[in-house]
Amino acid sequence: MSATTNTAAGRPPGTPPIVLLKGICKYFPGVVANQSIDLEVLSGEIHALLGENGAGKSTLMNILTGIYQPDAGEIIVDGYAKAFASPVEAIAAGIGMVHQHFKLVHAFTVAENIHLGWGETPARISAQELEARTAELASALNLAVKPDARVEDLSTGEQQRVEILRVLARRARLLILDEPTAVLTPSEARELFKALREFVSRGNAVVFISHKLDEVLESSDRITVLRGGRKVATEETGNCTHQSLAKLMVGHEIVLNDLRGRAASAASLSPQALLSLHEVSAHDDLGNVALNGVSLEVRGGEILGIAGVAGNGQKELSQVLTGMRAVASGRIEVGAKDFTGKSAEQFAAFGVGHIPEDRLHSGLAPALSVTDNAVMREYKKPPVSVGSWFRPRAATALAETIATAASVAVPDFGMPVRNLSGGNQQRLVTRREMRIAGKVLIAAYPSRGLDVGAINTMMRYFVELRDAGCAVVLISEELEELLNLSDRIAVMFHGRIMGIVDGTSTDIEEVGLLMGGKPTTNPPLSVAAN
Amino acid sequence: MDIIAGLLQTSILAGGVLALAALGEVLSERVGVVNLGVEGLMALGAITAIAIVTASPNPVFGLIGALGVGFVVGMIFASATVVLRANQVLCGLALTLMGTGLAATIGKAYSGMPAKATFAPVEIPYLSELPLLGRALFTQNILVYLIYLVLPVALHFIMFRTRHGLNLRAVGENPAAADAAGISVQKFRFWYVAAGSSLAAGAGAYLTLAFVPSWSEGVVAGRGWIAVALVIFAGYRPINAVLAALLFGAITSLGFVGQARNWPIAAPILSMLPYLGTIALIIMPVLAWHRVRRLMAAPAALGEPYYRDVR
Amino acid sequence: MARGLAIVLALVCAGLVLGAAGANPIALASKVIQSTFGSSFGLQDVSLLVTPLILTGLAVAVALKVGAWNIGAEGQFYAGAFAATGIGLFIPGPTVVILPLMFVGGALCGVLWILIPTLARAYAGVSELITTLLLNFVGTLLAYYVSTGPWLDPGGHALGTTARVPHSVPEIWGDVHWGFPLAIMLTLVVAGVLNFTRWGYEVRLAGSNAQAALYAGIPFRRHLITVMLLSGAIAGIAGMLEVAGTVHRLQGGISNNFGYLGIMVAVLARGSAIGVLAGAALMAVILNSGIILQTQGINTSTVLAITGLILFFTAIGDELAHYRIVPIETAKK
Repeated sequence: MSATTNTAAGRPPGTPPIVLLKGICKYFPGVVANQSIDLEVLSGEIHALLGENGAGKSTLMNILTGIYQPDAGEIIVDGYAKAFASPVEAIAAGIGMVHQHFKLVHAFTVAENIHLGWGETPARISAQELEARTAELASALNLAVKPDARVEDLSTGEQQRVEILRVLARRARLLILDEPTAVLTPSEARELFKALREFVSRGNAVVFISHKLDEVLESSDRITVLRGGRKVATEETGNCTHQSLAKLMVGHEIVLNDLRGRAASAASLSPQALLSLHEVSAHDDLGNVALNGVSLEVRGGEILGIAGVAGNGQKELSQVLTGMRAVASGRIEVGAKDFTGKSAEQFAAFGVGHIPEDRLHSGLAPALSVTDNAVMREYKKPPVSVGSWFRPRAATALAETIATAASVAVPDFGMPVRNLSGGNQQRLVTRREMRIAGKVLIAAYPSRGLDVGAINTMMRYFVELRDAGCAVVLISEELEELLNLSDRIAVMFHGRIMGIVDGTSTDIEEVGLLMGGKPTTNPPLSVAAN
Repeated sequence: MDIIAGLLQTSILAGGVLALAALGEVLSERVGVVNLGVEGLMALGAITAIAIVTASPNPVFGLIGALGVGFVVGMIFASATVVLRANQVLCGLALTLMGTGLAATIGKAYSGMPAKATFAPVEIPYLSELPLLGRALFTQNILVYLIYLVLPVALHFIMFRTRHGLNLRAVGENPAAADAAGISVQKFRFWYVAAGSSLAAGAGAYLTLAFVPSWSEGVVAGRGWIAVALVIFAGYRPINAVLAALLFGAITSLGFVGQARNWPIAAPILSMLPYLGTIALIIMPVLAWHRVRRLMAAPAALGEPYYRDVR
Repeated sequence: MARGLAIVLALVCAGLVLGAAGANPIALASKVIQSTFGSSFGLQDVSLLVTPLILTGLAVAVALKVGAWNIGAEGQFYAGAFAATGIGLFIPGPTVVILPLMFVGGALCGVLWILIPTLARAYAGVSELITTLLLNFVGTLLAYYVSTGPWLDPGGHALGTTARVPHSVPEIWGDVHWGFPLAIMLTLVVAGVLNFTRWGYEVRLAGSNAQAALYAGIPFRRHLITVMLLSGAIAGIAGMLEVAGTVHRLQGGISNNFGYLGIMVAVLARGSAIGVLAGAALMAVILNSGIILQTQGINTSTVLAITGLILFFTAIGDELAHYRIVPIETAKK
């Protein structure tokens, strides 16, 4: 199950680690991001950096790559102490990072991106020359890229390859990857780790940041766990288990519950679908086809999971399901009524709640007060509005109710909502939506940015809703989460539903295949639940 | 025939002001900083040129003085917007107000007097004898050739055909990517904003030393703003910007011709043409075909201050 | 607090520059204070200046609430003045009928002046900052044209003014007319609407985050258009009041850069009604100082420059208030 533990054979005794971090500290206003962290990366190893959201993993790597400056501590590369005032110095020292959000210029071609800020780029350039050089590099390093393609036209997997090529072309010896498989199907992820193995076998090293236990156990040699800004442990992967790692990450035993079981009092499946799509097609913001003949339905009392690598139409799906995006063709039915072409407001009035993917951008108005944000979905009705009048005091009272239910402490309801922490904003939006989700809740990547405790709480909210007879559509990239919660899972690929599988009887392999666009050998479940 | 030659000649001459200012703004916006102070910079450049030329009658000194003043003021603007990351729109408006006000205050003493030394048209031997084109193209002051030929070609080459230019454009498109690639975002932005401001002030000098040529309060008359609009219309490309400026020069000289030949439209109404024309032009790119729009799109990070160390 | 500091700093700088140019800033300052606050005429002058500033400030501030930059208040001001003058000079009737007509005409002409930029922004995403600003020049040219051409005062000897408009806004104190309390009331009403009505909430939400507004079912485009047109109307009213209440004629330079100073007022106001009133009061005092000091060689252009300086320091101050600047140690080689 775990990768072969790297032996010292091939590494002469006394070789210093490629990178040694000693006592690294980093503070931000009000937050201890890193506290006295030691990290040692040996040549020839794949080293995983594990921790929950907010544990300090990205911060630590940003320090190593010269984006942040440590407030204390040392960076030692190949035995020499170094300080990186900027990314260019880290690159010069042979440290390269592929970030979770790629640092690519979308308007440029692949070739232009590869040659950006690179000393080896000739002073005078032409498109053909750059593309030829890129093609050479790509074949030398065994990475398939299209040199003349504009980055904004590439898929995320392709963009990641460009990023990796860019970093490797600078002769990086330590390759750092931040959540690399977030945008890959399981089979693409396997390909990636195969390439990484090859890379380290030549005496280099890899550090990858992850919060996925499966991946870490399968693909790394050693694991360092961070928690709350501190290093908790460094272990040989062979000595770790799911449970031991989870315990280290969180600090106590956590059991990721299978929440699909129901109490006797829970509502049973509604006889008719509460929300259904019939052959729906829709376009994205650029005018390309995002949804292609999608048919789905979900009933009260069930949780329908939507799996798939981000970027295969999930965003547009969640927008179509909540009335935020018009359909190009097909029909939407909500509560057996034709809702095609209806506005977001009408969907909300029916009882469709929406936890959007990008909380800050679509769910909140950052500069407005906490009160104004909390009442966003209910401001038209009394007590907040009476006739044409808006009543600030009633609004504040409602905001207080929501904040209390969401366990968010708000010092001043008049302050801009962007002053709240990300987690608090999340909880506020979730609670706000749950209040109006009388019939259906559409949740898009709800656990992004939350720690395990908050995720568990949110899962319980969803179960609450389900048991009360609501329908929940859960769009997520965390397969584990989907498998623990969903009664059925629909897998999206390139804007289509590849198949709908039963939550209890499926497994990662099957879902993974569908995510990668390969239809299963089993006949897919019919669109409707039994 | 003669009228057309005259029209062409004036168009080129008039367009020169806008062209130089627009080129400066292209530099600034390509690194991601929108400089709305062009109007004020032009006023400062204009009055500086006049003041210097009055003291020592050599137009080249006037021009260099204006460029210098523009560079220094540009550095102040860049300090606020790039180093301190203050709101670019507000700082630009502030610069326009300060520049226009200061120039008008200083300019009281020089109002109405013709410039003591100017960039007069130069007749290129042989070529200026050609019919029509001879007068229009080959009887212009030396700045015209610099602005329409040397500068745009040089800037285009630098921006699109050199490594330096690639890095420059990346700074305006995605400063985080440029930073991660080892490019100094702040340095590029600071110096190019200063350079762009310098050219804007130079446009002011051109105005009072080659075009009008004299100073009066309100001589800039919104040309700085038209230049900013032109840059948008030109898709942030140097050669397009100069061509768009030429178009504007033509609209302006149409107004002059109308006045000179006593067309039934009153002078102030004719003067409205450039502004109305700009508004029409600025709406046009939006109506263009998707692929053209992509090519002419603004640098993606235009107007946003860059913070590397931010949570 | 940072704002106060910015203003003081700018004034100090101005004082230093004036000192360097040979004037005595302290003497100038005391003359200003004495003239402004020491006599009834001084206070009246300031009140007369405050009226258009409140309105142009309100116009820009209201547009900002929905996320739009109305830099065209100057042109809309002239448009309103133009309409009011036209109606006042050429439509016969009793004052009690014509004056309200002038008011409506002024507002409508202001709306007309902002219409194309509004539509361009709402339907084509074109920057309203530049389009509104370009129309300023057209507005100024229009006023110049009619006051030196077709509407030139036949009986007078002045070259650039229309005849006196026979209808005036009644005065309440000395030269100060009803436009002054009207401007204050309008500000309070607009603030009330924005904070205490459903529509106002929707506008504020739309201005803060268009995506969230869509999400809450708010017709963003409709609100954008309504608010921008309102902004134009208010600036147009400012022009009408200036003609009908203060100057009683249309002249080329009737606006003392009220439109541009209104931007400053809106920025200082930071979106509050009290802020607009206070900001307008401050700008009126500064503008008045410029007029008082004309005899000392300061002119209104200098006031403009000082205003720019205040705006500059304000912009910087606002940013510094958010972050600490920490110098980075360079790498030890």
